[in-house]
Amino acid sequence: MSTPAVRLHGLTRRYGSVAAVDELDLEVLPGEMLTVLGPSGCGKTTMLRLIAGLETPDAGVVEIGGRRVAGSGVAVPPERRRVGMVFQDFALFPHLSVHDNVGYGLRRDPDREVRVGELLELIDLADAAGRMPHQLSGGMQQRVALARALAPRPDVVLLDEPFSNLDAALRTQLRADVREILRAAGTAAIFVTHDQDEALTLGDRMAVMVGGRIVQVAPPEVVYGEPASPFVATFVGIANLVPADRRGGRAATRLGVVRVVGPPDARTDGRALAVIRPEHFDVIEAPDGPADTGSWRVLRRRFAGTEILYEVTDSHDQRLWVEAGAGVRRLRVGDSVHLSLRDVETVAFPSGHHADVATTLPAEAPARS
Amino acid sequence: MFRSPRPVSMLGRAPRPLLLGALAVAGLAVLPLAYLVIRALEADPGSLDLVLRPRTAVVAASTVGLALLVGAGTIALGVPLAWLTTRSDLPGRRAWAVLTVVPLAIPSYVTGFAFLATFGPRGALQGLLAPLGVERIPSFGGLFGATLVLVLVSYPDVVLATRAALARTDPAVEDAARLLGDRRSVVFRRITLPILAPAIAAGALLAVLYALSDFGAVSLLQFDSFSRAIYVQYRASFDRSLAAILSLMLVGMTFAVAWGESRVRSRASAFAGTARTSRRPPSTVPLGRWTWPAFAFCVAVVGLALVVPAGTIGWWLIRGIGQGEPVRVVVDAALNSFLAGGGAALTAVMLALPVALLVARYPSPVASFLETAAFTGYALPGIVIALAVVFLSTSAVPVLYQTLVLLVFAYAVRFMPQAIGTVRAAAVSVGPRVEEAGRTLGDGPVRAFVRLTLPLLRPALVAGGALVFLTTVKELPMALLLGPIGFDTLATEIWDAAAEGFYARAAGPAALLLVLSAATVAVLLRNEETTR
Repeated sequence: MSTPAVRLHGLTRRYGSVAAVDELDLEVLPGEMLTVLGPSGCGKTTMLRLIAGLETPDAGVVEIGGRRVAGSGVAVPPERRRVGMVFQDFALFPHLSVHDNVGYGLRRDPDREVRVGELLELIDLADAAGRMPHQLSGGMQQRVALARALAPRPDVVLLDEPFSNLDAALRTQLRADVREILRAAGTAAIFVTHDQDEALTLGDRMAVMVGGRIVQVAPPEVVYGEPASPFVATFVGIANLVPADRRGGRAATRLGVVRVVGPPDARTDGRALAVIRPEHFDVIEAPDGPADTGSWRVLRRRFAGTEILYEVTDSHDQRLWVEAGAGVRRLRVGDSVHLSLRDVETVAFPSGHHADVATTLPAEAPARS
Repeated sequence: MFRSPRPVSMLGRAPRPLLLGALAVAGLAVLPLAYLVIRALEADPGSLDLVLRPRTAVVAASTVGLALLVGAGTIALGVPLAWLTTRSDLPGRRAWAVLTVVPLAIPSYVTGFAFLATFGPRGALQGLLAPLGVERIPSFGGLFGATLVLVLVSYPDVVLATRAALARTDPAVEDAARLLGDRRSVVFRRITLPILAPAIAAGALLAVLYALSDFGAVSLLQFDSFSRAIYVQYRASFDRSLAAILSLMLVGMTFAVAWGESRVRSRASAFAGTARTSRRPPSTVPLGRWTWPAFAFCVAVVGLALVVPAGTIGWWLIRGIGQGEPVRVVVDAALNSFLAGGGAALTAVMLALPVALLVARYPSPVASFLETAAFTGYALPGIVIALAVVFLSTSAVPVLYQTLVLLVFAYAVRFMPQAIGTVRAAAVSVGPRVEEAGRTLGDGPVRAFVRLTLPLLRPALVAGGALVFLTTVKELPMALLLGPIGFDTLATEIWDAAAEGFYARAAGPAALLLVLSAATVAVLLRNEETTR
């Protein structure tokens, strides 16, 4: 296997008694786009700054392109790390034109003009070469920042929530642009975000970070389908954590039986929490009249762009998020429904796997933006 | 998307009384200058030869030389101090951040007096050396003295402008440059300095404007720049047209500088426009072995600019009390100063209100033009306004000549821009919605304005008035030329006594002015805090 573009091992950075980055391990492959998803304050930005050399780790190792740049006595300054970075506010040089911004890191490059021309073509801003940063729209500034970071052919590009200050429509467009540009450049990239749509759609792999640690790294569909912990399950997408009784490859819940991913063994048998996604249900309208024992009442609805999610409750005040298929008419708050669990494959965690999950069901489903 | 759309002219919607009020204020503001031009045109052709004599060229060269030296000096002191007090780990950084700005509010003639009273022929230093047989020490003054004093009172302009630019600049910009392969020192040269350059230039041009306009220091230190030449010409000659012509030459310089300053300032704000939210605070740069040289630098600057004036004044104050200097003089002068200052503050705020409201509420090219006209006093040296107002009153309204009314009017013209700036900013942030809500609840336009907008503007009106008051109290040349006979202010007391070498007599009023200066700085620093 080839040398990773970036390798972090045991990386730790403390502010006072708080560890912003806590014994973190991570590898990024050459040419790979890795997204890092985590809530605000989980240490994502600090991790990027440690890789870039803008912060010094208290412990651990940073390797870039197989070369050690931080840790065990080594401290390569940022200017010699061959790392490109796109900052949240773009941080364009306000006194330099687009052309000079892009060419800034190519001071000693004899082919400077050629390279700048290439990049301006790549970001489709060749016409704006002479403009100043404050004359550009937010989306253009974003692309200039990316071209500037790519110009010196870095081993890795770090993107620190690069779309957070742009409006929603522009964000979707730029997401595609950035992915395209990075593909074309073939550079490895670490893309930090707190937006799960961005993390899911943009990454070849995605890492979920919480409390200064990476809790799961996998392709986005694996993180969604086989979350490593109840936290990941509820943080990425919407998940119902339903008490279950696991026997081998199956888990029985009061809603039905699901197949469980992963090799069964004796230790996994017993009480568990099964991850049931809203789309794992078939929703059937119940006839009007007094609620029968198996029926659920609609508490509220949320339109999530393409599908409608409903929060439903039963007589025991259990709550679930469910997704109604196209065949179901629009339900109103207070309507009764019956639920049936499809034959799905999902994950189940032994109960008590994570002590921090106090309730079995999420009180508030994380918003999809 | 981040540029505001081209402003639509709102002039047509402006209430007629507001427009007329702003028009009248703008007219009042340009009146002295207009009259000066008329007066200069009336000069008989013979005096034009006087203008072209070598002596005038020497004065012009001296003025330009002084201005250039002051500009360079303020940059040399101001930029390092701004950086040290914001980005470095200088010991006592927060205290230095305040101390390095305090000299801004000390009037030039107070610092000038302090240096004379310390290093001058009959100063404290000579007094200390006398027992050792030192009878004379080299005189303090001329180009060196004037430059030193003016740099020491105006370098804080550069500190404040540079600090504001440093605060506006996203530290990530410097990080980005490092990641693109530059060492910290190279980043400072290629990125930090160019970004700060317009702000530094704006601060230095402000200092240059101050140096060109200064009368107090150059007259005490007997350096023949335009201000002093105009004053001497005015006092000595019957043909005052020559003074008018010299004044216009000086005004040409100050307008050019003021224009340049506004140009670079708008450039500075364009640079600041790119960075927005979610910034990390800048990292502190360790000074290492430069710690103590940097500390010594701060000690030296603050020592000269603050400790020497305060110490000298204190020393002479104690001696003066010992010699039984009358306290009454100080009290009378203070009352006169406060009277003129209070009148000026009230007048300036009232005049500023229509202009500020028009610009804030009904932006249009005409409104901007009227505001620019109302800012005329900003670029007019005090001595020039004083002279123009003398001309104006003797020929148009002789009744007012040498009355307090005239002095207050001149002050209002000179310092109104300070009030306009403060009130306009507040008027923009208050906005028209509150008043509109009042209208829907049954108030007429005037009542809604008085009940709602005016109370919301009150803090700004008070702040603007306070700034005008503090500036006026320290003002010298207008008080000297326009004050009624026997109307001595703190400023004229100090100047008279210092010019004649009665240092102990000057110490009382000077001490009082120092205290007021500290108050001014407190106001300014609070503005600096709130703009962050």
